[in-house]
Amino acid sequence: MLKIDNFSNYILKDISFNVQKKNLIILGSNGAGKTTLAKVLSGLIETSNIHISDILLSNISYEERVSLINYIPPKLEIFDEYIKVEEFLSLSKIYDKHHIKEVLHKLQIEHLTTKNCKRLSSGESQLVLIASAILHNAKYTILDEPTSNLDPQKLKNVFELLSLKEIMQHKIIITHNLNLAYRLGFDVVFIKDGKVHFNGTSNEFFTQENLDMVYDNTVKKIENNIVVDI
Amino acid sequence: MKYFFVLTSFLIVCFAPFYGQIDLTIEGILDANSMHYQVFWDLRFPRILLAFLTGGILGLAGLVFQTVFRNPMSTPFTLGVASGATLFTAIAIVFGVASFVSFFAFLGSLITILILFAITSKLQDIHTTSLLLVGIALSFFYSACLMVLFFISDLSQSYEIVRFTMGSLDTVGFNDVYFMAVASFTIILITQLYKQKIKLLLVSYEFAQLKGVDVKKTNYILLFVVSISVGICVSITGPIGFIGLIVPHIMKTLYKQSSEKLIYPIFFYGGVFLVFCDLIARNIGSNSDIPIGVVTSFLGAPFFIYLILSKK
Repeated sequence: MLKIDNFSNYILKDISFNVQKKNLIILGSNGAGKTTLAKVLSGLIETSNIHISDILLSNISYEERVSLINYIPPKLEIFDEYIKVEEFLSLSKIYDKHHIKEVLHKLQIEHLTTKNCKRLSSGESQLVLIASAILHNAKYTILDEPTSNLDPQKLKNVFELLSLKEIMQHKIIITHNLNLAYRLGFDVVFIKDGKVHFNGTSNEFFTQENLDMVYDNTVKKIENNIVVDI
Repeated sequence: MKYFFVLTSFLIVCFAPFYGQIDLTIEGILDANSMHYQVFWDLRFPRILLAFLTGGILGLAGLVFQTVFRNPMSTPFTLGVASGATLFTAIAIVFGVASFVSFFAFLGSLITILILFAITSKLQDIHTTSLLLVGIALSFFYSACLMVLFFISDLSQSYEIVRFTMGSLDTVGFNDVYFMAVASFTIILITQLYKQKIKLLLVSYEFAQLKGVDVKKTNYILLFVVSISVGICVSITGPIGFIGLIVPHIMKTLYKQSSEKLIYPIFFYGGVFLVFCDLIARNIGSNSDIPIGVVTSFLGAPFFIYLILSKK
């Protein structure tokens, strides 16, 4: 179980929740503190408010944390100019038994294997990041807006992958794509102004009544799809 | 193309000892009674080795500094190691202990490194920006101290200090070479041992941490060990600028591979570049050598600008 207790900093206020079931969706408006929360949960921002399986995260060495938690940023940021996709993925391959090729095949990006990471488009780099998450296969994987730059077909493909139980152990997905969140059906934590505004099941969150309250009547539930009314 | 460079480099290193104020012949250096023999084995050969190892250390140190600081303008002297050495050399010269110049220079680098790490160990910052800033502040402080020393020194002392800052590869016998070999071994060993961690750092600090690297500790160990090597280097040759800046960049442009694969090429070509510069420094002047630092910058700067312009 991943647990955060009474965490506060410059943006987040008194955050507490735990990931009991397999997966979690984190929703919230821009600037609500979702990415900060993700970095706190993954230990990139050090605190003493996180427990994984009842062990304080800050007491776990960096080497041991590798098996427990991974954070996938929304953009692939690489300092070195000449690291290839293949090399990046072999650095990421830690626990997964599958070959890099298989994972690339699943994501339909085999053609990127020898490409330079710096030369990828934003959508391509997101797919590479998802591949790296699968290959790392930590106990908890936090994916920060994993689909924000994908075209519709890739989005559907990634949705199908993310809904598979055998892909990654526990997934915590931060997203603005409400339809994706709804269809995945994971529990929902909604962050507003740095506070946990909602914490419950998917069915409880995605009722028209709740959506109207949370999103100020801009989101409609139409025939099993969540649509933004613009 | 690569083979051409390797071949040219070997030729440069092989021919370099034969040309200078006295041109040597192969028969001469094999005849133990000739003057050529002494010039070659006591002066030229150690000098070429010294130049090669110095160039290698400075080039590789540049790579490590640029990786750790995430800044392509970082050089082995960014943390003030060279200014520390210069200041202490100046102290030795002004206060009349000039025969211990090398020792003082090394002391200067070492004290600088210790001060830096003592200050930064008090910082909570996980990243290296504060270390960089403290290093730069320290350099300015040293410059001010150096000005004071210039002010109180006489003409010949000032001249000696200036000559130190220009760098020099003058050496007799193999003593300096032994020290430099130890420094070279150290820097190659640390970069090889940390190769995988360096590669993870080359992606990003966050990525490296999530893959199990203690980023702060790794950065500090790398900088510390590399700075010690550079300190030994500076204490023997004086600060030779520009190699640490340009060699890693040139190698990246030529090889187009991630930096951790370039450890040996950068060491090798850094060495060859300095041997080549030294060859010119020894041959172009009519009766004395041009300071090595002048040649490295004279040749390096235009070539570097050319590379930047030709890069797409």
